[in-house]
Amino acid sequence: MFATISILTGIGAACGFLIFIMSKILPKEDETLAKTGVLAEILPGMNCGACGQPGCFAYAQQVAKDKEFILNTPCMTLLQDGEALKQLEEILDISLDTSGMAKIAVIHCYGNSENIFDYDGIRSCKAAAQIGAGYKKCPYGCLGLGDCAAVCLQDAITVDPETDITKVDPEKCIGCGLCIVECPHGLIELIPRDMPHYLGCSYTYKKKIPGREWCEMGCIHCRKCIKACETDAVTWDKDRNLPTFDMEKCTASPESIEACPNNVIIPISTTPPAVSECH
Amino acid sequence: MSDTSLIAIFVSMALINNFILAKFLGLCPFFGVSKNLKNALSMGIAVLFVMLLASLGTWIIYDLILEPRGLEYMKIIVYILVIATLVQIVEMTIKRTNITLYNALGIYLPLITTNCAVLGVAFWNTQESYNLAQSLISALGAGIGFTLVIVIMSGIRERLELSNIPKPFKGFPIAFLIATMLGLSFLGFGGMV
Repeated sequence: MFATISILTGIGAACGFLIFIMSKILPKEDETLAKTGVLAEILPGMNCGACGQPGCFAYAQQVAKDKEFILNTPCMTLLQDGEALKQLEEILDISLDTSGMAKIAVIHCYGNSENIFDYDGIRSCKAAAQIGAGYKKCPYGCLGLGDCAAVCLQDAITVDPETDITKVDPEKCIGCGLCIVECPHGLIELIPRDMPHYLGCSYTYKKKIPGREWCEMGCIHCRKCIKACETDAVTWDKDRNLPTFDMEKCTASPESIEACPNNVIIPISTTPPAVSECH
Repeated sequence: MSDTSLIAIFVSMALINNFILAKFLGLCPFFGVSKNLKNALSMGIAVLFVMLLASLGTWIIYDLILEPRGLEYMKIIVYILVIATLVQIVEMTIKRTNITLYNALGIYLPLITTNCAVLGVAFWNTQESYNLAQSLISALGAGIGFTLVIVIMSGIRERLELSNIPKPFKGFPIAFLIATMLGLSFLGFGGMV
């Protein structure tokens, strides 16, 4: 009886001693690990991968190692949450200038081009874009099958089933950028959150005077927006044959929005103008 | 089993008496970690490693301490003790050398402690009264069989993510169905040894 008890105790003690020895032999735990744990709790924890790291924990590791990392690759979700941001600043002992960091996704198309044929294939923009440039008259336009809406973790992108117009809800969008690669026509772009408007057209065909014959909503290349802008924020991009907005110079003045005869310059945080209102 | 040559033991443990598909042991990590090929492989290798260590440790303790003193009835508690210790050491090693892998394995790593496949292989070795070499080969076979099945499963499940599955079958139900079919296909190995 006594022998049995002592054997069991002995085996237990030997096992414990083995663990002790191993913990001494193995390399010490990373010092930043405790900090990583604290940071990981503040981070959103949905592992969207928009920062380029394999997950929120890996991001926390990078930040714990080097706090400058957060300035170069900010966590887009965190930027939306003021309270968490304040906690983060306290822990890291830095002050973040968040203006211009927060981004929002915009879709450079209002997708009102008519269909050339009835598309009956796989319900995916990427599949549809393999046939010609899609089933719409405008080969640059949004196909409205919602590949971007499917990847959005915030449910910020919706496709209007009647008009096939894809919209980003500016209140829900956190600017993570997951949707950008999903668009086969490359229509989605991240712009600073405080930009007042964006261009709702990606028509880059140079030869024809485009617009009306392919899409009621298209940019007709009239360049009125450039003339109307007082701060020289609008310039003509010769390569893409479209106006571009200088993110730094642009103020919230509505001149270029009003100047556009075709309502292609779309103010953010308002509902898109109804298509029938086209001039 | 009449034939106890090392190759026979290996093939038997890896394919014919596969721990997951024939003995239904270690199903928890089988369904929990088989969503992604990389993690599944890591989990399989971790289990294989723990199985080998556990076989070695339990063989030494059983043959040198328990059996000579007639303490066979204590093997459950002693085996659990030994396996828990080994898993602690493996966990500590992974945590201090590869924190990403540690996070990926998550809860399933401590679960190896109570993983019935590891305890199962230790008991199997004792029951068949294998010697040291046979024990190690049997653990190697069991671990490789485990890894093989979990990797096959994760490959299939990665494909399933992309396929069009009826809504009620999404996630675990279809995984259970796949596991059944895998089990049936592994039945084909029966009678080889």
